[in-house]
Amino acid sequence: MLQETVTIIAYAFISLLVITIYGLTLNGLVMKIVARVHGRFGPPLWQPFIDIIKNNAKRTMIYHGTMFFLGPVFRIAGGIGTYLFIPAIHGSEVFANFSFSGDLLLVMYFFFFGQLGMALGAGESGHPYSAIAVSRGLAQMTAFEVPFALSVISLAIQYQTLSITGIVSAQQGGILHWTVFTNPLATVAALIALLGMNMHSPFDIVLAPQEIPIGPPTEFHSAYLGLLQTNRAIFNLAKLVLFMNLYFGGATNILILIIKTFSIYMLSVIVGVSFPRFRTEQSIRFFLGIPTILGILAVIFQKL
Amino acid sequence: MREMAFLGFALVLLGFWAMLTRKNILRIIIGFTIIDSGIHLIIVNLGYLPGRTAPILEKGMRVGDLSKHFVDPIPSALVLTAIVIGLAVTALMLVYAVRIYERKRTLNIDKYRELKW
Amino acid sequence: MVEPIYLFIILPVAAFLMGSLHQHLNRWQVFIFFTVLLFSFYLPIPWLIHLLKGGSTAQVFTAGFLPPISINLQIGIEEAFLMTIINLLGIMGAFYLLHHFRGTVYGPILYLVFIMGLNGIIMTRDLFNLFVFMEITSISLYSLITLSGSSENLTAGFKYIIASGIASILFLIGTIYLYYLTGTLNIDVMIASGYKIVGPAGSIALIMLLSAIIVELKQFPVNGWALDIYTASDPGIAAIIAGGSSSAMFFAAYKLLPLWSPSLSSIIAGIGIMTYVLMNLMGLKQVKANRLLGYSSIAQIGLLVGLSALLLHSTPVTGLTTIWIILGGLLINHLLAKAGLFWISGLIKGESLSSWSVLRKYPSLLFIFACLLMALAGLPPFPGFWVKWNIAMQLAQHKQFLWLGFIMLGTLLEAVYFFRWFGLIMKSELTTGIRVRISSLLPIFTGTFLMFFISLTMMNLLSGFNFNMLLPILIATLIFALKLIPGKLKALMTIFIIMFYFYFLLPELSGLYRLFAIIFFPLSALFMIAAMNKPGYRNGYFELLILIVLSLGNLLTSHTSLQFFYSWEVITVATYLIILRGVKRFDTALLYLVFSLAGALMILAGFSYSYAVTGSTFLGILGSSNSQITIYILLVGGFLIKTGAVGVHIWLPGAYAETEDDFSPIISAILSKTGILGLLLVLLLMGKSFAANTELNTILGWIGVLTAFLGALFAIFQEDLKYMLAYSSMGQVGYIVLALALYSHLGWTAALYLAFNHIFFKGILFLAAAGIIQRLGTRKMYEMGGLINRMPLSFLAVLISIIALSGVPPLSGFGSKWLLYNALLEKEWYLQAALAFFASTVAFLYCFRLIHSIFLGQEKTRFRQVKEASLWFLIPQYVLIALIMLISLFPNIIIEPIAQVMADFIPATLSWEGNTLMSSLGYWNGNVIMIITMGVFMIPLIGLLLRVRSMQKVKQFNIVYAAERPDKPETTHVAHNFFPHYQKALGFLVTPLVSKFWAAVSEWCHTIAGVLRNIYTGNGQTYALHIVFMVVLIYILAGV
Repeated sequence: MLQETVTIIAYAFISLLVITIYGLTLNGLVMKIVARVHGRFGPPLWQPFIDIIKNNAKRTMIYHGTMFFLGPVFRIAGGIGTYLFIPAIHGSEVFANFSFSGDLLLVMYFFFFGQLGMALGAGESGHPYSAIAVSRGLAQMTAFEVPFALSVISLAIQYQTLSITGIVSAQQGGILHWTVFTNPLATVAALIALLGMNMHSPFDIVLAPQEIPIGPPTEFHSAYLGLLQTNRAIFNLAKLVLFMNLYFGGATNILILIIKTFSIYMLSVIVGVSFPRFRTEQSIRFFLGIPTILGILAVIFQKL
Repeated sequence: MREMAFLGFALVLLGFWAMLTRKNILRIIIGFTIIDSGIHLIIVNLGYLPGRTAPILEKGMRVGDLSKHFVDPIPSALVLTAIVIGLAVTALMLVYAVRIYERKRTLNIDKYRELKW
Repeated sequence: MVEPIYLFIILPVAAFLMGSLHQHLNRWQVFIFFTVLLFSFYLPIPWLIHLLKGGSTAQVFTAGFLPPISINLQIGIEEAFLMTIINLLGIMGAFYLLHHFRGTVYGPILYLVFIMGLNGIIMTRDLFNLFVFMEITSISLYSLITLSGSSENLTAGFKYIIASGIASILFLIGTIYLYYLTGTLNIDVMIASGYKIVGPAGSIALIMLLSAIIVELKQFPVNGWALDIYTASDPGIAAIIAGGSSSAMFFAAYKLLPLWSPSLSSIIAGIGIMTYVLMNLMGLKQVKANRLLGYSSIAQIGLLVGLSALLLHSTPVTGLTTIWIILGGLLINHLLAKAGLFWISGLIKGESLSSWSVLRKYPSLLFIFACLLMALAGLPPFPGFWVKWNIAMQLAQHKQFLWLGFIMLGTLLEAVYFFRWFGLIMKSELTTGIRVRISSLLPIFTGTFLMFFISLTMMNLLSGFNFNMLLPILIATLIFALKLIPGKLKALMTIFIIMFYFYFLLPELSGLYRLFAIIFFPLSALFMIAAMNKPGYRNGYFELLILIVLSLGNLLTSHTSLQFFYSWEVITVATYLIILRGVKRFDTALLYLVFSLAGALMILAGFSYSYAVTGSTFLGILGSSNSQITIYILLVGGFLIKTGAVGVHIWLPGAYAETEDDFSPIISAILSKTGILGLLLVLLLMGKSFAANTELNTILGWIGVLTAFLGALFAIFQEDLKYMLAYSSMGQVGYIVLALALYSHLGWTAALYLAFNHIFFKGILFLAAAGIIQRLGTRKMYEMGGLINRMPLSFLAVLISIIALSGVPPLSGFGSKWLLYNALLEKEWYLQAALAFFASTVAFLYCFRLIHSIFLGQEKTRFRQVKEASLWFLIPQYVLIALIMLISLFPNIIIEPIAQVMADFIPATLSWEGNTLMSSLGYWNGNVIMIITMGVFMIPLIGLLLRVRSMQKVKQFNIVYAAERPDKPETTHVAHNFFPHYQKALGFLVTPLVSKFWAAVSEWCHTIAGVLRNIYTGNGQTYALHIVFMVVLIYILAGV
């Protein structure tokens, strides 16, 4: 029993480490791509590593209160937790993570854990921009969760399970078994929702440069910022892995995982560099419009 | 004696007309007494049987013949009671009229409308 | 037994003596007066006892002849009963009028004649004699009215004479023609020879007789004069008119009823019930107390008339049958209550409804007043309640559903104006005009006391004595009597009593009921710890709490629908009173009461329908196969009102938010579950084959999920802390309704788990709110801010509870979401699941707004000195936190018993593997999730802690934004209108359409009432015209 537990925990550490490194690299890569699109040279690929090492190495002597202190901790715990509840690689013991503890519903709700904690931390910083950003973020989140939820319901009807492992194994045996081909409506609805989750333009209303720079993390610095940046890599990848599992047949090895998640992420990046920012209410209306209708259609078609 | 009944009804209608259209409460009271009289006529008429006499026992009458000689005594009794009651009510109404006039210095019923709805 | 004929000797003789010898009698006059009245009260009592023991009805013959030649009197059980109460009323009324009669000799004389007339009306069996007694009563009344001699009195009296005069004319013509046709004046003989009453003459005679009686009964529309009489005459006189002469006249109608039936029965029923509805409708517009009482009196008599026409049909009922008890109970309820109210009105100087607020200074009078109102509104424990119940049952049995509906409408309208009045008294400015005399108080108190006694008797006769039903009221009264005990001690006693009751109740309950008992008893006792914080006696608060909670227990032990409904109404009334105690404006409490009563009436209708089909009030059977849809709709509708479902939710925010801060947790967390209990019972008892499959469940489900969504949406736009929590409650209960509607094992397990979880977190939130509001003195969230430093314990409690609310793992809320979505997907309610999910994300918005606006952000200058909330608020909060933590870590300790209980009804679809819960779709291990979450939280935390040393806290003004320092926290704290973008995007969904709809309903009712009452122009001639019209109308309707 003890040995089993230790093994599982050790595997989880390995899985987490791999994903963190990949996540940071991915972030660096995307920064580079975006810079090139903008016509800039851009930072080096390893810039995110430099950032987090620098920030994490810094000591801080100030804080705004307990919740402020705990905010980044909540955030990264949320990111790590979300990732660890998703089986990353199908059939791999090392990358199965803690997926035995709950199904898709758990992951969907664990998304909120970090956001809520971070929102509280940002709130205690007392900075008005933080509060405004949180208000925007939560509002947008309720909107993009609707098409996503509908899409997930459509999957639940399709596969008659909420277990992620179950959904992935149902998609094995060829590219045409992937949800993206068997249930395109649900996939499209979910991918649009993903644009919102990734908070690239036009949905970058939370961090919103030039408007409420930089939103919730305004008062967070050094070690706090380090945690937040680390989380950004992990949480980002947790979402991508989830989408890969749900809609693109999952991955049987790390290479496929990298290829698939990179491709999924590119969608956000391409949209992000192409569109200007929405206002909050526009974003809410957008998500409750066509994507939601697509989601409802996906549910209806599955039910028929 | 049917004419009597018609007369009675005519009086009742006349009285109603007075009660419903006259504004002076004394006239209303008069209307009321007219109705009363009309009703008395109707009652008496209902008990009347042609060729018979009033149901009053006199000397020399045999008990067995009573039902043949007399009209139905009950309406007559009723009429007596009704007259008494009508009198009492009329008297009361007049008292009311007097006292209302003392207070309000008018007998017009349209002016007694402080209570409504 | 004294021959009743002596009444007609002794009363006039005494009157005559008093009139002619008054100079010599002096003080003896009062003595004679009361002796004679006592005699008249005593006379029927031995008869009543004799008759109740099974003695036969006695006939009294006069003048040495047998009827039909002579006049005869009858004293049967009805007569003896009615004479007893009317003569008792006579004594009490005389006592009350004593001061009024001082200095006049005519008053007592007229009074004796009046009483004699009433007895005559009751006893005589001769039609013409009835006329004579009616005239005697009227003439003495005409004179009694003028004794105080104001000009209003005189004009009102004159209108009375005109109307009554016309009535006697009609009566006389009718009588004489009936005599002409049947050859008799004896009522019994006349009824027996009804076949002789034929042709136009016969029907016109009957119609004239009926019209006369209807005028004397003051039925709509020929009652304008009666309203004036009630308004203008001395309240003492009005009391005996409302109680005495109306009752006697009703009895005259009761005697003559067989004469009119069946041809005119429906017309009489229609007139009676229309009178009941319309007078109560017009009562809405009244602002004068006495006139309002007049409207209500007329309405009650209308109900009596209508009911007797409906229920007695062709055969007059004699003896102690249910119908007889209903009519008798209604009569006595009306007689005592209305007389009592008129008597109280005599003490109060002002005319307007609000001038009665002086009663607040005399708690015992106020208590009596409340009792009388409740009696008239048909609420327990008064006779009116038993009457209301049995009316519904009887009418349903006779299949008179339309009439039942009208009667319920009338009841509701009556409750509206009565309780609006009560609210006005409780909440408007204190007035001063009152004159209290012992002689006036005595009859008032006696009457109310009698009412309790009669209620007990009726309970005994109609449903059998049940001590449990009385126990809550007895205990509450007992505590109320211990007035001078300090509030804190009372709070302790309350908790003790509740737990004690629980201890005795628990072994009697099993399964589902046991779970609800846990909700109702220990948890509400826990919430009551908060009551320890308030100083003072808080009279009434704890008594009502005991009443509510113990009645909740009785709800669980009910075997019959009557027991259930009784406790249900007790809870409603007690909750209304407790809300009214706390609120500033009475309309909040009124709204609660009106909606609750409407719901209760729907429930009553459902039960009565079930009774009509099955002939049983046993709760185990609700309807048979062909009636289930109706019963389902009625009962579910009634219970949905209690849960605050969307559409009928408008009572909820105010009631939850405006009530006292330490009652809010109880009403929103505990009492909202009574509706859930009701819904669950309906689904359980309706019969599985129907309830599990009906399409109506789908509608119920949509109602539930829409409530959840709109509740959450309303909550995010609230600035007021308690309103936000109230709307949140509405939404959360919506989820429970949704889960119940699923009718599946998983669904019901989810429902109860949701219920428990809701109690825990909503309890904490409302308790924390209470603590904060007590310290800050404001409920506006944007006025708060940064309180985390001042109230860390409250902050932690709120934090835990919003995590539990929002369903974020690892706390207990996630379990409820998981169960709910699995249940929904299992049932294939996909779109509902999506909307429920949307609602649960919207809940994040208000959760964050709540905690941010109060505890985070900028601290306000004026609240820099506030202290942590009172310990009494924190104790229950932390117990609840412990419970949340416990069920988060070991969800099985709560889910397992719930699932087992539910498995008794529906085969289980939920299974366990160790700590892992498995549905057909997914799985969830709360225990592991908790540990993992702790792990991933602790590691970065420790990492961060290792890297910080000698931390220094940033001061409030050390931050800089947009090149400005926030030297004014008020302008820097982002809290007001926190989600403007949401308002822009989805604000159209929260347009208060429902409130507007109900406001329009209310407005229309008042407008119609206002237009309708214009027929009472105040002109005596118009009133006479009404009579003529009515005769014509009856003639047309009778179709002769």
